[in-house]
Amino acid sequence: MMSPLVLVVDDDPDILDAICDILESEGYRVSRARHGVEALQRVESERPAIILLDLMMPVMDGVTFAQHLHERPQDRSIPIVVISAEGNPQKAAAVGAQGYLAKPFDIDALLAQVAGMTGQEGATASPS
Amino acid sequence: MESEANERRSSFLGFVAHEVRNPLSTALWTAELLARMSVSERGGPRGEKLSAMCLRSLVRVRQLVEDHFLCERLDVAGIPVRLEPFSLREVIGGVVDRRPPDAVPVEIEVDDSLAVEADRALLERALDSLLAAAAADGGPVRLSAVVEDNDVRISFRGPKVLQAPLDDPRKGSPSDTRGRALALPVARRVAQAIGGTLVASGDGYVLTLARGPAYTPPLEPPAHS
Repeated sequence: MMSPLVLVVDDDPDILDAICDILESEGYRVSRARHGVEALQRVESERPAIILLDLMMPVMDGVTFAQHLHERPQDRSIPIVVISAEGNPQKAAAVGAQGYLAKPFDIDALLAQVAGMTGQEGATASPS
Repeated sequence: MESEANERRSSFLGFVAHEVRNPLSTALWTAELLARMSVSERGGPRGEKLSAMCLRSLVRVRQLVEDHFLCERLDVAGIPVRLEPFSLREVIGGVVDRRPPDAVPVEIEVDDSLAVEADRALLERALDSLLAAAAADGGPVRLSAVVEDNDVRISFRGPKVLQAPLDDPRKGSPSDTRGRALALPVARRVAQAIGGTLVASGDGYVLTLARGPAYTPPLEPPAHS
């Protein structure tokens, strides 16, 4: 069985690399996007199991991305976890996210949220 | 008026916090991942990649923290300013030489005899900051200086400089993944502290300083036979 695909959306290349490394080391498949427009394309072509979403990004920010996502019936059920350096959990609720992690968050907190929302609790994601 | 100033300051601090948290996150995560690896794994390609990311992120954090401390100290006039004449070319050369090896190239057009009157340490921070701001979208950066009346106008021009406003960035302002988001706030405060001005002009920035007495290089010591 394929491991769940996690889409990571952040404009900071080092943040993208680090989060993808964390997830891949736990057996998840990952896809990455630098802004909302790229993320919408990834969602359409790859259908991720969960989206880790930064809010402040160029081209299209996380709030606008979430609005577009929720307008697409086939994609609106994909869970979103907001990963933000803003320290404002209310914004996560405002975009209809299921989870919120304030940077710098613990690695284990990230893995727990991803596992919980992809049905991987208590197990390392199976390699593809 | 006071509440407006407080709101501006709070928004600026919110921006600084955002800028610091991103590289701080990467530094913490990569350090923790390295700590979880075996010694042999740490020496492998993944270990090397994570070490490089950790170091790069800490350099970003250091730059932001140093710049923010300088902004704060200049805001409360907590730095003694010592004005003295010196060679502009010599100071610029030192600043350019101390930049990291992967920094964009700088083309310098400054007469060797040109002198300015400024606080040397603060001017070095302003020059480094303005080079970073002018290189935000790539290089090379052209740095030139001309004399006008009794002032020296130092221009920083890049090929694609998207002029950023000289006001302090606010919460939500664009991020700088090089850790140089406070370059212009530093340069603006230094210019003010040393009696100069900073303006955005054309395809870059212009720092204007008081001209110093003509610079004469020190004489070579007599050769001993």
